[in-house]
Amino acid sequence: MKTSSKEVQDSVKKLFEDGRISHFIGYEAGSDSLRVTPCFLKSGQTVSRLVWNPLCANNLAKYLLDLRKVEGKVGILVKGCDSRSVVELLKENQIERDRVFIVGVPCSGIVDGEKLLAVLGISPGDVVAVEDGGDAFLVTTREGKRRVRKEQVLRGECLVCRYPTPVIYDVLLGEAIPSLPWVRDDYSLVRELEELSAEEKARYWNRELSQCIRCYACRNVCPVCNCPECIFDKKAPRWLSKANDISENLVYHLIRAFHVAGKCVDCGECERACPMGIPLRRLNKKVEKDLLELFGYTAGIDVEQQPPLTKYQVGDLDEFL
Amino acid sequence: MVNQKKSKVIEKGRLTELLDKLTQGYHLIAPVQAKDVSFRRVESGSEVTLDYINSVLSPKNAFFSQTETLFRFFRDDNRGFQIEPCVEADREQVIFGIRPCDARSLRLMDMVFNGQYRDSYYLDKREKTTLIGLACFEPDETCFCPTFGIDPASGEDVDILFSDIGDRYLVEASTEKGAALLDKFAGFFVEPRGDEEQLRKARKAGLARMKKLDVSAIADKMAPLYGGDYWDSIGLKCLGCGICTYLCPTCHCFDIGDVNLDEGGGRFRCWDSCMFPEFTLMASGENPRPNRKTRIQQRFFHKLKYFYDRNGELACVGCGRCIRYCPVNIDISQIIEEVASGKAGND
Repeated sequence: MKTSSKEVQDSVKKLFEDGRISHFIGYEAGSDSLRVTPCFLKSGQTVSRLVWNPLCANNLAKYLLDLRKVEGKVGILVKGCDSRSVVELLKENQIERDRVFIVGVPCSGIVDGEKLLAVLGISPGDVVAVEDGGDAFLVTTREGKRRVRKEQVLRGECLVCRYPTPVIYDVLLGEAIPSLPWVRDDYSLVRELEELSAEEKARYWNRELSQCIRCYACRNVCPVCNCPECIFDKKAPRWLSKANDISENLVYHLIRAFHVAGKCVDCGECERACPMGIPLRRLNKKVEKDLLELFGYTAGIDVEQQPPLTKYQVGDLDEFL
Repeated sequence: MVNQKKSKVIEKGRLTELLDKLTQGYHLIAPVQAKDVSFRRVESGSEVTLDYINSVLSPKNAFFSQTETLFRFFRDDNRGFQIEPCVEADREQVIFGIRPCDARSLRLMDMVFNGQYRDSYYLDKREKTTLIGLACFEPDETCFCPTFGIDPASGEDVDILFSDIGDRYLVEASTEKGAALLDKFAGFFVEPRGDEEQLRKARKAGLARMKKLDVSAIADKMAPLYGGDYWDSIGLKCLGCGICTYLCPTCHCFDIGDVNLDEGGGRFRCWDSCMFPEFTLMASGENPRPNRKTRIQQRFFHKLKYFYDRNGELACVGCGRCIRYCPVNIDISQIIEEVASGKAGND
């Protein structure tokens, strides 16, 4: 993450000055030192608010949907994973390519705040800043600087990220990162579950999903969950009862996972947003793995590539027929 | 006010045994460590954890469950349609380990469920519950309960307060109900040694650093912000999920629905959230809060103005859950500061 906040600020300032964008979506410092928050700018005068650091977890692509109707072009800061969500939004014609200006930043991993605190044995108030230091994060604490190896404290999705550099952009700030050294097995989380019997799988998911409080954060934070009216919000007919029980929760999560199949880029936002710690990425990764194995398909790479579940080919697998 | 306030002490080593005993006569709800800490019904004292700042979900579930059956209905071949009331709580319950902020929230919820209308479902459980609080000496960064006049080390809103003072707990009953429970289990408690108050004072030292915001005129300051630009960027940032409302110990809005099966069904009520678009959707299709801006504005107006106008209290206890868990870092303490200082003016 060699790109600095200053580089982002300068670049965005110039974009406003040159009249190339009318809005910008980036990050600014959050209400504590382990958090950032989405930042919406309408002019170049306030670019000093923008930050770029290893805490910038949010996938901002979701907000492109909210700014579809504004005058002028919307600029957005994207990491590798976020850029793949932008690709998916373009594929679905949710946004128009010439109405967005994509500022890409190569990303060498986002820190998981909870892991960081656990590894360092400190509390949130002790952290002053977190910076990128190559294969480690440099953490400024109240007691001084500490160095933490990235692999110990990265977010789960960053540990298996194959696209640290944005796949689509109008300008790239910093040098492209071809691959991340710690990425090995993409699907170890899935394989563990695949080896279980049907009963064990049912037990596992019943246990996890019975914790769900149906706050819908996993859906709302997801850029590819963009139906104008979600089936789960519909009152008449009501497809899903508002009563919170395992059968309703299971229906919710299975439909959600299938509905993002072929569009999910494993940005990890659903799992990050979940207050109950439900391992949603495991569901998404299973679907991702199946799509890769059955159709050789990976989401969010190429705008021209059609998702396998929305097209038919004579040679498609039909072993279930 | 009750004056049974008489201090006792319990050695730490005897706590599990006391909790075990409690499970025999009561439904015991206590903090349990899973992925995070949550308040759950426990069967034995050994399930209980004491290593927590606070739970993810507030203990409001014990009185106002996320889903609660109100009554059941079924068709009887001889008697036609039948309605069967749901069994009320069959036993007294004890909540052990509730924090002073969450205990205060119950006092606020009482204003709703025991106000103009008496909500028998809530009140039945409330009346059958004894609250054993656990004083908070090491609050989270996001905690700001002193803002609302809450002393995190006080037992004002509980029946009994436990304070961890090292090798033992200082135990104080502040209601008759609490004193009765202590009497019932008198064998577990001993007389104070004399240094307890001093030890507690030392532990309280860190609390002075807690965030305390000025909310003295917050309701008045909110009024002119209604419909203003201030909510635009907050509404844009908000994802419209239900985390803040569902985790909030004072949020109490609910919906009512039916489960219909061939053999019969039931009417339930469940938590609802003003963050959801269908919360105010009317049968005509009209929605008076059609976007996230108007919905999040409602949330803050309810907390900081409407509840105050109706009940003379703000509907926030500074537990910090909505701050900790908001995926986009919308921070009610920041909003309070901006409103209080006038920075939230419409530009």
